[in-house]
Amino acid sequence: MFRHNTLRYGALVLLAAGALAHAFTAGYFGLEILTEILILAILVLALDMVAGFGGMVSLCHGALMGVGAYAFALLSTKAGISVPLSMVAAVAITGAGAWVIGTVCARSHGIYFIMATLAFGQMAYSYVFEAPIFGGDDGLGGISRPDLSLVGIDLDDSRSFALFCLAALALVYGAAVITLRSGLGRSLSGVMHNAQRMRALGLTVWRVKADVFGVSGMIAGLAGVLAAQHSMYISPGLLNWTVSGEALVVVILGGLGTLVGPLVGAAAFVVLKHEVSALTSYWHLVVGGILIAVVLSRANGIFGWVEARWGAKLDRRLADTTRGTEAQEVTGDA
Amino acid sequence: MDLGFWTLQALNALQLSMLLFLLSIGLTVIFGLMHFVNLAHGSLYALGAYFGASLAAAGGYWTGFFLAPVAVMAVGLVLYTLLIRRMRKSGPMAQVLVTFGLIFALLDLTRIVWGDLGLPMNAPDILSGRVAFLGIEYPAYRLFVVALGLGVFAALAYVLSRTQIGAMIRAGVDNDAMAACLGINVERLFFIVFCVGCALAGLAGTVAAPLLSVTPDMGLHILIPTLIVIVIGGLGSLKGAIAGSLIYGFVQTFGAVLAPQLASMLIYGLLAAVLVIKPAGLFPAKG
Repeated sequence: MFRHNTLRYGALVLLAAGALAHAFTAGYFGLEILTEILILAILVLALDMVAGFGGMVSLCHGALMGVGAYAFALLSTKAGISVPLSMVAAVAITGAGAWVIGTVCARSHGIYFIMATLAFGQMAYSYVFEAPIFGGDDGLGGISRPDLSLVGIDLDDSRSFALFCLAALALVYGAAVITLRSGLGRSLSGVMHNAQRMRALGLTVWRVKADVFGVSGMIAGLAGVLAAQHSMYISPGLLNWTVSGEALVVVILGGLGTLVGPLVGAAAFVVLKHEVSALTSYWHLVVGGILIAVVLSRANGIFGWVEARWGAKLDRRLADTTRGTEAQEVTGDA
Repeated sequence: MDLGFWTLQALNALQLSMLLFLLSIGLTVIFGLMHFVNLAHGSLYALGAYFGASLAAAGGYWTGFFLAPVAVMAVGLVLYTLLIRRMRKSGPMAQVLVTFGLIFALLDLTRIVWGDLGLPMNAPDILSGRVAFLGIEYPAYRLFVVALGLGVFAALAYVLSRTQIGAMIRAGVDNDAMAACLGINVERLFFIVFCVGCALAGLAGTVAAPLLSVTPDMGLHILIPTLIVIVIGGLGSLKGAIAGSLIYGFVQTFGAVLAPQLASMLIYGLLAAVLVIKPAGLFPAKG
């Protein structure tokens, strides 16, 4: 089950403060990068939920994000449904799709699960690529952002949109934590550690996996909706398996199964990508090298490494200080 | 759509199947023997194409044909000593990620060495013409690819089923701990299989080079079809690799001709169906 510790709270506060400070000080380019980080963070949060807490390493989350983006684009531009309603519908559609994929794949494990999700993802990719309604290779344009002028916010401004994405990320993080702490999330941890025992306890294992996969799909769908609104244009490339692969890399770089780690990973990944791309066009060589180094070091990503080194120590020291003050109070009373 | 059309498409399908077979057999036996997931197999194929094209430019097609697999095997050897031997004991997740990192690194290394533009490679003069039979004309080079694939299949089938080392490999795939107890050096066996698998990937790249364009991302494009082949066929078995390759080749080729709208979805749908009905593939090495 997911627990917060001091280090995780600290990292969250630091990340939120950093994002807010950046949102109010950065120029246009900085805000674009911040928005990119926030959207990627939502996607990798969805992936960490299933991969880190359910052992379901999915290679279709990029495609799920794409499904969300296309569903939103089609509903809002072609079907003439209002933007907020399209957003909700797109998230629901993606969640339903993910639930079906989760149901079908629930029986497979390890490499077979990875391959099965890959197959579904690529299926969606080829369909979007081929079908004329999705605009094929040309993609779809003219996507609009929600109209919040009622409360005096203009989301076409990149600062407002970055803050809007930050709010969405905070909401999603809360939803993920609640899901993982609920009965469903606890059952999922049980299934990951020993599916046989959970089955013996009377749990419908495939149902638990599919349900969490569905929730995760909804989150990925939201990331897709925001990505579509961010660039106001979408192309089938969004659904390609390399997007899912990159999301998995971000989760691993940040720290699998920590929820906070992938957020750190998303920020590090996007910043690194822009910095390295500015220096050399061989950005993949750098990220490949870092990935190999991280896996070989056997640490659980950047955040996992920090946590293993200082997390426990920090908690113990804090516990000691609280016990110390309690002890003082006791002696004071006497 | 007369007989000639069907023959032509069947040959196209067969040629694609053989190319995929050369790639998937190495990958599947490496996985079956040592449960090692080598996603970088496609990158070795791309390296094979580059080595082949460069060597062919220097010393003619056959220099590339014979030396490129050796060169790729050397690269495989370096990877084995530096990385893969250390990853043997880690879980599939770590292996997938390390080899995913290798894909990225090798992709950019080929770009650094050979540049972003495609390299040309011509078929040898003796195979550059067309052969007329059964009322159609077919490029001789493609027939050569089909023959080569069938030849490699026959050779591997013989080695695996009739020789001592083949028996040792089958024993290792079936139960590596028991094989080790019987005095088989499973570690050395894996090393040999790994080298042969790399050489075959290099060979596939070299023979594919005159058919497709040699670009840095060719390894990335072939990876998914190769994985589909081994998952449909079942991991670890020769029969699975050839069956998977044929299924993929024929579904892809005939799908593209008969139902172009559905072609690319067809194969993924098939894969999903196989995984649902027979999660371990059609002919898995272990019952």
